[in-house]
Amino acid sequence: MSGAAEPVLSHDAGAARRPRRLGARGLLEVAGIYAALALVLIETLYPLLWVLFGSLKTKEEMLSNIWGPPSSLVLQNYADAWRIAGMGSRIVSSVLVTGSALVILVVVATPCAYALARLRFPGRGLVLAVAVAAMLVPPQVMAIPLFMVARDLGLINNRLGVAFVYAATSLPLSVFILRSFFVTLPADLEDAARVDGASRLEILIHIMLPLVRPGVALILIFGFIEIWNDFFLAFLLLRDPSVQTIPLGLVSFFQQYDSLWTLYFAALTITTLPVIVVFLAMQRQFIAGLTAGAVKG
Amino acid sequence: MTTRSQKAAASGRSDPWRFLAGDGAVAFLMILPAAILFCLFYLWPFVNGFWLSLHNWDGFSDPTWAGLSNYQRLLHDRIFLGALRNNLIFVVAVVLLKNVLGLGLALLLDRALVGRAFFRAAAFVPVTMSFVAVGLLWSWIYNPVFGLLNGALDLFGLGGLKRSWLGDADIALYSIIVVDVWKWLGFHAVIYLAGLQTIPSELYESAKMDGAGPLQRFRHITVPMMMPIIFINTILGLSGAFVRNFDIVYVLTKGGPNHATEVVLTYMMSKAFQEGAMSYAAAIGYVLFLIVGLASVGLLALMRRQRLDV
Repeated sequence: MSGAAEPVLSHDAGAARRPRRLGARGLLEVAGIYAALALVLIETLYPLLWVLFGSLKTKEEMLSNIWGPPSSLVLQNYADAWRIAGMGSRIVSSVLVTGSALVILVVVATPCAYALARLRFPGRGLVLAVAVAAMLVPPQVMAIPLFMVARDLGLINNRLGVAFVYAATSLPLSVFILRSFFVTLPADLEDAARVDGASRLEILIHIMLPLVRPGVALILIFGFIEIWNDFFLAFLLLRDPSVQTIPLGLVSFFQQYDSLWTLYFAALTITTLPVIVVFLAMQRQFIAGLTAGAVKG
Repeated sequence: MTTRSQKAAASGRSDPWRFLAGDGAVAFLMILPAAILFCLFYLWPFVNGFWLSLHNWDGFSDPTWAGLSNYQRLLHDRIFLGALRNNLIFVVAVVLLKNVLGLGLALLLDRALVGRAFFRAAAFVPVTMSFVAVGLLWSWIYNPVFGLLNGALDLFGLGGLKRSWLGDADIALYSIIVVDVWKWLGFHAVIYLAGLQTIPSELYESAKMDGAGPLQRFRHITVPMMMPIIFINTILGLSGAFVRNFDIVYVLTKGGPNHATEVVLTYMMSKAFQEGAMSYAAAIGYVLFLIVGLASVGLLALMRRQRLDV
């Protein structure tokens, strides 16, 4: 195994050795690579910077100075955008919906994933097959009947009710991810605790859960991005403006006041920046979790 | 219930609840909450939707049996067929571009010696943004009068290429495709990058000694070694491109001009909520489900034939 692990790492090491042998051609190659990456950087980040700049300009400067940073900081844009777009209540709605959905998701998905990974019982294969099949059925194609079911259950315009719907739509993938984490845990741990007389639930909560924390973090991150950013289901189920989430608020603000660009950019910054900051703060775990899931398969 | 089964599990053979005592009862209780949630918001709508598509119902009055007539009407609905065509163009273009550009970007990132983490994070930022934010940002970039894109074309003396990017029926769909690729490129590149880093460098070294050029090494080492990752990226891109385009199309064009960017989901939603044709819209959802299902199953079968166990 030590022999097998080495080559994986030495690909990086090989790359790191290369500069020593750099000729004129090698230098040109590296310059080309960085030039291409710089282009990607501009294409990705400049539009975002442009929004940030725009949010701090006056309306006149927006037209006279399209490209550059603002000459003075018009923070009033943010106060106005906050007030006109009703940002406060939208943020409350988004936090309420996303927060409850994630709590429901973890509470429901964890025992299910544990049972599928560690317990032998009749019908286990069937439950697993249903979970995999459900991953292939995107909830969007069932939007119309979902709307009717939610209406029959009285969940339209009900933020907690919509949280249950979000939890359900994230459930199959989350169970699948968590199950793969539970499967890798050694059986000895559990056996020892069983000998000591611990129940399955106690084992799950006190022994297994702390060990699959990276898996729980992964489904929380995926769930957060998915639910916090979702427009479609919110558009379908939250029809009343007083309970609408941030994405719905942004769209209606945009449609009503599409000439107030500076305020618009301010609203976009208020809603986008926090998510980007959270991502940058924990990008290591984020990308590690993502690629571990995908590359291992 | 939990305590009873726990007691039963603890006290063993003499207990009358023995049949519940093993892992079966515990498993049942542990799966129950998930099963309830699944039945309410997955299974019920799924079954109900099929029933609905076989009736005529506006959502309020009494439903009447319609048989397959909703599906037959779809075959002659020119707007629906146009939306389906747009949707397929969208899927093919988006999946191709995300894979080719994603792999290209990953190769660049793999070679970057300094600042790889920085470039990788930067490329990933749009993935974390909502489609609404991305769509609204790009509606300003594409704005024919004040937009960044036409401004940039002016700046480089390419004023002749200026367009109403979302207002011109011939190119609006492609403008939307660019936005979708922009948002997801970093996601696919990061997965490709992780795959590239699992290829042992010995393979490249020995190929080099045998005199293989960079292109040959890419064709004979990188591509075959990356096949599983290419499939993963294709599956991820495929399911996303079929059903996750409502947000972006709704924000950018609402399906216009004159249905030029209409996709299946936008058409389904406008049928349901602007015209109240609930059962017709449900049938549209089922057709889309069938297409996505067939595409996924086909791709999985192809993977199995290639012996790619992913």
